[in-house]
Amino acid sequence: MTQTKRPREPFAPWDRRALPGLFDVEETAKRVGHYKWVEIKLFEALGGWVATVPELDVKMRLGTHCYHHAWHADLFDKRLPELREMKTDRLTVPANDHMVAFIDAMTEPEGPEMTIEKLVGVYRVLIPHKIAAYTYHRNATSEITDMPTVRILDFILQDEFNDWREGEMLIQSMIESDEEIDRAMVHQTRLEKLMLAAGGIAGPGSIGDPYVDLPEEN
Amino acid sequence: MRKIFPAEELARDARFIRQTNEQRLGDPRGARVAGGNTNERLAKLTPELANGPDRARALMHGIFVGEIQALEGAGRTCWDFEVGEDVPLALKLDMARQCWDEARHCEISVSLAEHMGTELGEFAENGLLYEAACNPDPVLRLTGVNRALEGLAIDVFNTMKEFGNLAGDPVLEFCEDWMLADEVTHVKMGSDWLRRLTENDKERLDKALEFQKVVDRLFSFNGFRGEDDDSPIQLTRRFRELAGFSDDEIDEIADMSREARVEAAS
Repeated sequence: MTQTKRPREPFAPWDRRALPGLFDVEETAKRVGHYKWVEIKLFEALGGWVATVPELDVKMRLGTHCYHHAWHADLFDKRLPELREMKTDRLTVPANDHMVAFIDAMTEPEGPEMTIEKLVGVYRVLIPHKIAAYTYHRNATSEITDMPTVRILDFILQDEFNDWREGEMLIQSMIESDEEIDRAMVHQTRLEKLMLAAGGIAGPGSIGDPYVDLPEEN
Repeated sequence: MRKIFPAEELARDARFIRQTNEQRLGDPRGARVAGGNTNERLAKLTPELANGPDRARALMHGIFVGEIQALEGAGRTCWDFEVGEDVPLALKLDMARQCWDEARHCEISVSLAEHMGTELGEFAENGLLYEAACNPDPVLRLTGVNRALEGLAIDVFNTMKEFGNLAGDPVLEFCEDWMLADEVTHVKMGSDWLRRLTENDKERLDKALEFQKVVDRLFSFNGFRGEDDDSPIQLTRRFRELAGFSDDEIDEIADMSREARVEAAS
């Protein structure tokens, strides 16, 4: 017979979640606002590109992925009022001007012969940076106080990994010559430099700072 | 990437052949598919018709290219308008959802076309559907695309579902029923957004409904869609009601089709 009065710990032995997290409510809202801005820009671009790519499989994948990122934007939008930001548009902003420059450069390719550039911008630059920032946030925030954000990020990361894999495979299937490798690399390098200047999708500190400050020598 | 992408530049691979309606009329395959005389051309699409199977294959190919253009149109609505300035974010989220649905419809219809023995590019494509998705006013665009064209899709899918049933093709019937469910959702999106965005703007509402009529008329040639038992494509009253159409609006489309049919027969 179960002993109903026998005391148990509030956290099971295998539950190692910790109370403290790196972000307070304000910082979390700020980051979520930046994430939402990026997701909006991404789903808009993927939707716009559908008409411009002649490759049938790419066309259909872009249409599918367009919705994934729109859904992410919606999830972040719904989280903002829970973080005391009732006017969600106020925080739906780019992290800085460099991030705007990045999105402008990423969405620049239009011609039907530029599918490689379109895919490289999204799947070799932006999505890997999103995965990095979301993973950092997911691991650094409190898994108790900020669990709603963690849960959102877990759903979103699942999509991001799947979409990244599909996008990367499309790129690999489209690159058939040295010249195309060069094209992909040139575009990637250009965009990576812009992303470096932005400091990541949420600005400097998007994935934390791994360096240790040493005391100044006399 | 530009705002408003012209229909002439829609990106396609070498298998796709773009024709104007005039060119399509001169295409010798047209007569074979449509039927040799007026009775055949205006007969209800059934497997028993002499040209029934060919007509169904041509229609499925038409559905496929229509789905591509619907996907492209919904995608462009995500890109062409600014959140806040032009449209609410929620409208664009709906369009992104429609992109996913249309992408799945492309996958379904290209698979069904193959299932029915059709090769991609066997029939020509025209850009009329996408052209309706180029309207610079988002309300007019949504009304033309989501209420007129997606409304037509409801009628077409229901007809194809019945064709699958009559032909003893459960795959066709099953898939068309699923696509039909999505289309009712898309038409409802159009009805809802039309109501919300023109709540205090009667002039814009009238313009949007007028644009819808223009698109409906454009796709009613020969009155091939109607409520008569022998109409090639059946106007589906029940699903249109679910999608937010009033009885008067459905009556108007039925009348428009009837007039076009009388005109074609004479």
